[in-house]
Amino acid sequence: MTSPPYLGEFEQQVLLVVVRLKDAAFGPEIGRELEARAGRRVSRGALYTTFDRLEDKGLLRWHTVPGTEARDGLPRRLYAVTPVGLASLRAARDVVRRLWAGLDARLNDPGRG
Amino acid sequence: MRHDPPPLAEWLLRRFLPLDRQNDVVRGDLLEEFRRRQSRAWYWREALSLLFRGHGYKNMLTLDSLLQDFRFACRSFAKAPSFTALVVLTLALGVGSSTAIFSIVNAVLLRPLPFPESDRLMWISEANSSGAVVSVSWPNFQDLRVRQRSFERIAVSRHSSFTMTGHGQARRVLGRTVTGSFFPTIGVQPALGRSITDADDAPGAEPVAILSHAFWRAQFGEDPGVLGKRLNLGDFQFTIVGVLPAGFRYLRDYDLFTSVGPFTRNPSLNDRGNHQGFVGVGRLRPGVTERAAADELQQIARQLAQEHPATNSGLNTVMSPLQSRLVNEERTTLLVLFGAVGILLLMACVNVANLLIARGASRQHELAVRAALGGRRTRLLMQLLVESTTLAAAGGAIGILLAAGMLRLLLGVAPAETPRLDEVSLDRAALFFAVTAAVVCGIVFGLFPAAQASRASGQPLVIRTRTAGASAQSHRLRRGLLVAEVALALILLAGAGLMVRTLLGLTSLDTGFRPDHLLTMRVELPRGFDDDAKRAAAAGELVARVRELPGVTAAAAGYSMPIDGSSWNSVFAARDKPIPASRDRIPVAAMIPVSPAYFDTLGMRVVRGRVFTAADRAASPPVAVVNETLARTLWPGDDPIGKSLKQGWPERPGTWREVVGVIGDVKFEGLTETTPLQVYMPLAQEPPRDLTILAKTAVPPGSMRASIESAIAGVSPEMTVSAVRTMDEVLSASIARQRMALLVLGVFAAIALVLAVTGLYGLVSHGVTERAHEIGVRMALGAERRDVVALVLRGGLSMTTAGVILGVAGAALLSRGLDGLVFGVDPLDPATFAAVVTGLVTVALAACYLPARRATRIPPAAALRAD
Repeated sequence: MTSPPYLGEFEQQVLLVVVRLKDAAFGPEIGRELEARAGRRVSRGALYTTFDRLEDKGLLRWHTVPGTEARDGLPRRLYAVTPVGLASLRAARDVVRRLWAGLDARLNDPGRG
Repeated sequence: MRHDPPPLAEWLLRRFLPLDRQNDVVRGDLLEEFRRRQSRAWYWREALSLLFRGHGYKNMLTLDSLLQDFRFACRSFAKAPSFTALVVLTLALGVGSSTAIFSIVNAVLLRPLPFPESDRLMWISEANSSGAVVSVSWPNFQDLRVRQRSFERIAVSRHSSFTMTGHGQARRVLGRTVTGSFFPTIGVQPALGRSITDADDAPGAEPVAILSHAFWRAQFGEDPGVLGKRLNLGDFQFTIVGVLPAGFRYLRDYDLFTSVGPFTRNPSLNDRGNHQGFVGVGRLRPGVTERAAADELQQIARQLAQEHPATNSGLNTVMSPLQSRLVNEERTTLLVLFGAVGILLLMACVNVANLLIARGASRQHELAVRAALGGRRTRLLMQLLVESTTLAAAGGAIGILLAAGMLRLLLGVAPAETPRLDEVSLDRAALFFAVTAAVVCGIVFGLFPAAQASRASGQPLVIRTRTAGASAQSHRLRRGLLVAEVALALILLAGAGLMVRTLLGLTSLDTGFRPDHLLTMRVELPRGFDDDAKRAAAAGELVARVRELPGVTAAAAGYSMPIDGSSWNSVFAARDKPIPASRDRIPVAAMIPVSPAYFDTLGMRVVRGRVFTAADRAASPPVAVVNETLARTLWPGDDPIGKSLKQGWPERPGTWREVVGVIGDVKFEGLTETTPLQVYMPLAQEPPRDLTILAKTAVPPGSMRASIESAIAGVSPEMTVSAVRTMDEVLSASIARQRMALLVLGVFAAIALVLAVTGLYGLVSHGVTERAHEIGVRMALGAERRDVVALVLRGGLSMTTAGVILGVAGAALLSRGLDGLVFGVDPLDPATFAAVVTGLVTVALAACYLPARRATRIPPAAALRAD
């Protein structure tokens, strides 16, 4: 079995937000959640390009749902992470965990004890 | 409250993003975000970035690659400056000249008249049985007005000129006398004061006038207190009741419009047989067709003919859309020029396509490399299209500048009486035309070469032979295009040739008089010259004063003069001829009162008998001089001297005049019109109020203008002088349409010839370069120089011949369009066609000979080594 695709940092953040938002993972909400949780302001262009790339890699999928009144009824995309995407996220988390292992004390981060 | 994004940004998105579900999502996201942020600036920024940088969902319009192609195109043009300049200039010429002509055609022919729903406005008049328009008689108009059902309203109006006194120096003002229904019919309200109303038509009504905005400004300094003031215009005092909106114009610029009331009392106006210059205008009821309205008018005309056979038999009512009537005369000229410019534009396109193909062929290697490196065909195609569109844009931009210059030139040579000429400008429509022409040229004609060149596969990269398949194919296409160019050039040359013949014919035409050293002008006698004796005396004094001036060798006065024609055309009767049973068989002649020296001053030829002398006074026996056409028509083979004729209807009383002389025919109504029947009579016996003064001078006639005008003012300061022109100017103005056509066609034909010949030269020359090897081999094998020359010439001549055959056929098909413009020469004139073909073939031969000679100089050894 091939290993799941490698994730860049921003890609990882986007996928995590999508997982977190679940049934509310629409474009604008994802942007806002990223800003709120990761403290990074993302241009719409960069965000959408990333959606496209993740979709190309088979990590993200979407389906359109009817729009709300706030968008004059124009349809919106509800994103979801694919099984491959989830595998990639898990793989990325494992890499980070392995890299962090035993370093907590040396990095002396009081927050993490 | 719901906020909406900036409408323009919204429109741009809708317009330029492909309309699909994906983009609906993008727009929805934008909208949602906008309503949260409430920032229009944000929305604009996002919309523009979406449009230009394409950050959105996949498959969005991306201009990134276009921009890249554009930069690449600019770099490659910089590397080939002469090619670029040639293409851009060719396009600029095509676009510039077509835009200039389009501006005129659009303003004069296409743009609706500046009245509300002007397509419902119809011109109405009466015509006699031979179809000649005779204007509407006043009583007939009254009947028509009440009987018709097809029009919301109808009105009549006529051109009138007045001498205005009491406001500084006496001056001539141009007016139009209109019925009260006139302004409501055309749908125009005065900007100030009231309109002329139906009540103003009544015979007893106070004479009223409405001023044009320009006249109001010039004469009264836009004083709003002008309403109620009086204007002395000839026989009547008109009260000013209104001022028209700025820019209002009906057919031409008028100083003012007056009510018809003061004239309706006049018995001659109320004579049903008198047609005194009124023409009608009607506004069709909505839903009534032109056809139905015309039928109804004809039916009314038939009723009137039954009710009033003496005056109305043979009379018909004619109608046509006001707009088309207005530009009747210019239509042919303008359409011919538009056709010519279309041909030129097409040639420019063909030439550009040819150049692009040639360039594409020579860039095969570059394209092959790109294809081999993975460039997709659509991407290469796009690149080539961007290149041709960039060239087209540059050509279009320069073309628009060129159009502005050309337009100024064209307006300078356009016949002054062309209607709506002042509306001509490089307006939005013209710019739109220019941009469309340039873009279509760029895209359509860039497409051929692009399709050609983008077929490049990786193969030519590996096998670079001289006779690659693609190259042979592009040659065939280029040859085809060149044949088309030669054909188009020939069509333009034939047109120009016919106009040259026409103009040569017109300028060498025997006018029947001597136009050199003649100064002419119109003089209107003011109030106070009401009776015949006073008018005759004034005319005599005018002539005497002018004659006395140093530099003047002869002077005369008349009601009208040659070329200009006369507005006094009347039926007449001959005493020895039976009265024709049908009214419309009664002959009509131009009546021209003249002073004794008239014929001599104009250098006219006396055919028989005598001309008038000082002895032909008011009290002496009434006499007349007729022209040859009248003598021949009325008394064929008989001596007209001693016969009698009488102006007016046969049954009415009138003065019988004895014919004392026959004078040679002159071109009376312009150079191209046939001479009408003419009756001259002594000015002393029939003195008119309007005079044409003719002065034969020993010095350049223009230089006498001031002294003659002051001599006239010496007779009475209230006399108004207008239309001061030399006879040469009058002649020249009468052929202005033909001259403009010749100028434009001539210039276009010259450009076309240059385009075709350089195209031919380029292609043949390119062929020689490509066949250097073959030619070298032939010469090495013993071919003579003349064989080589013949080989090359044959190639060029075969294309020329094909082009000439197509061109002659095309010109023959199109020549009917020149019918109204050519004169004295058949539109299929064999001599013109032969000359044009000979000229074109000769130039083509010369263009092919240069490369042919070069071919013979190729040293065989060098050609073989070059392999």
